[in-house]
Amino acid sequence: MTWQTIGDALSIICALAGIFFMFVGAIGVVRLPDAYNRLHATSKCSTLGIMGLALAAVFHVGTLAVTTKALMTIVFAFVAAPVGSHMLAKAAHIDGMKPWDRQMSDELQQDKDRQAGKSPGNAPREMRLGPQNRASGGPSGADPTPRMSTAV
Amino acid sequence: MNGLRSMILSLAEGPAGHEFVAASHAPSPLQPVLFFVLELGAVLAIAGMMLCLYRMVSGPHLADRVLSGDTLAFQVVGLVILLTVRLESTVYLDAALVVAIIGFASTLAFAQYIGNLKRRTES
Repeated sequence: MTWQTIGDALSIICALAGIFFMFVGAIGVVRLPDAYNRLHATSKCSTLGIMGLALAAVFHVGTLAVTTKALMTIVFAFVAAPVGSHMLAKAAHIDGMKPWDRQMSDELQQDKDRQAGKSPGNAPREMRLGPQNRASGGPSGADPTPRMSTAV
Repeated sequence: MNGLRSMILSLAEGPAGHEFVAASHAPSPLQPVLFFVLELGAVLAIAGMMLCLYRMVSGPHLADRVLSGDTLAFQVVGLVILLTVRLESTVYLDAALVVAIIGFASTLAFAQYIGNLKRRTES
């Protein structure tokens, strides 16, 4: 049980975690229903996957140059991925991309409607009411979420 | 000409004891397991690239294509880091960092473009 063996064991664990997150991110890019959901999978792939693989490189090689560059890559990925995902989601929303038809609420669109003076509310009606209100026949009963029922 | 050829070959091989190659040490008993994991990771990263290319071809919105390109860039980064672990070399991590930076910059540029599309078509 030398230090090299311990480093290789840690490297195997980190590499498996990184490979898992990279592949799951790629599957999520294909399988999730719309671009806002797909950005979620992209962020997992580019932060956690890169972190696992770079830590595997650190634990296996272990020289100062590899450690510095790997830590730079991790820090850059953790700074860059949320910024890029946020900018892309906001740009797609500005461009008017239709969200998934089973999405519960679009709060950015509600804020934009409220600022424009319109009554907020762009989600599908049965989604906005919720199952218990639909069963009682409308929003006349006690509604625990008044924000989601203002436009009815 | 012969000197140039030998110089290129020595650069490609990485001479023993050079600072770009980590110091040689006795391989640990876990090294075959690690190399198997690295090969598995290379196969899965290439499969993930295929999935990203599928989404890039069939994305309904422009944002889908851009985010699949972002994911593709980070799959390339992961593959380069796997190569770094396999060869125990330092020089490939520079390529990983550069690909990550270029992928981020292209995502920002495409996000600006998508955000200005509606205004550009209206005016």
